Amino acid sequence: MARMVLKGLKDTEEFGERLGSLLQGGDVLSLIGDLGAGKTTLTKSIGKGLGVEDYITSPTFTLINEYKGRVWVYHFDVYRLEDEEDLLDLGYEDYFYSNGVTIIEWADKIKNILPENRIDIKIEKGKKLDDDRIITLSGKGKRYEKIVKELNIN
Amino acid sequence: MKVLAVDTSTMVSTCAVLDDEKILGEYSLNQEVTHSENLVPMIKEMLDNLGLKASDIDLYGVATGPGSFTGLRIGIATVKSLAHVFDKPIVGVSTLEGLAFNLPYKGIIVPMIDARRNRVYTGIYRWENGNIISIIEPTIMEIDALLEYLNKNYNNIMVNGNGATLYKDKIMSTLGEKVKLAPVGLNGCRAASICELSLLKWKEGKVNDYYTLVPNYLRESQAQRELRKKESGNYGYINSRNEGSRSR
Repeated sequence: MARMVLKGLKDTEEFGERLGSLLQGGDVLSLIGDLGAGKTTLTKSIGKGLGVEDYITSPTFTLINEYKGRVWVYHFDVYRLEDEEDLLDLGYEDYFYSNGVTIIEWADKIKNILPENRIDIKIEKGKKLDDDRIITLSGKGKRYEKIVKELNIN
Repeated sequence: MKVLAVDTSTMVSTCAVLDDEKILGEYSLNQEVTHSENLVPMIKEMLDNLGLKASDIDLYGVATGPGSFTGLRIGIATVKSLAHVFDKPIVGVSTLEGLAFNLPYKGIIVPMIDARRNRVYTGIYRWENGNIISIIEPTIMEIDALLEYLNKNYNNIMVNGNGATLYKDKIMSTLGEKVKLAPVGLNGCRAASICELSLLKWKEGKVNDYYTLVPNYLRESQAQRELRKKESGNYGYINSRNEGSRSR
């Protein structure tokens, strides 16, 4: 597990971009955090790091948005789903186990069907300043270990 | 009688035309490209090169799964629309039966399709008087549970499918001399097999149409998933074999 405090929006954006630049096809990111914690904002900068030029918007309504970057980027928001059953009707496995990068907001709602190898990112608001964010990374698999190492945050 | 069949259950896009006892053409691609972009141009190119028109086709065949959710929808929607336009019957064929049908093997045949998270879609088949028979209907199993079951019960096994490729090392180390891997050319989905099975089923009257045909995703039922949550680590469904095969 790795934890860091990001000071202000600019720090968060820099972190997202750096993380995005390290990702490769097949990686799965789960984003966990309260409403307004900044999951979509972080996804936007991760997308930038992945070479996505399109404007990334929240998929709360559409459930999945697809973007073409260095690799395909699949941005999920499962907030509106009742349960995991709903995800079956989206053909989620073709995304989660694809050669693209999958980013899932509210992933804690579908934790039983998330791939085992993934990177979990918890975002919390900082205690003092409203713009600060506390990021906690955890996960499993070689890719998680490599990314944490490359981010050099320990 | 001309049969056009497709199988897009896995990464392979494959289509073929059978004329009674002769495959006129088969076209397969196995690459990281989407079926939605490839399948119809492939069918068109094959028919064009054969000097056939879509209206010359008398019967359509399609692999109905299990397999990729998106792939199955593309294959089935494509065939349904062709059958609808020309008002022709469709036969749905299990993807696993199609794979087993690739292999004229004396022992038992175990096709495996990767179902993710250490599971495969699988069934057990054998040939009997020139017909392929299922001993165990399509199901979803942990690869370890399947191999243990095979090891206990059979000595003469041939496997194919992308699951067999994925778990090749595990299969060989568990089953050793009891198992043979299929030749590469017969390992994946082949529309030629779906064509022939479709024609056989059509002759038996097992026909669908563009309204009634549905994919078989072979999902775990809610009850099975709840059970798995409780018993994570140890699960295989060989005893509850048809429960997951609810058609949608």
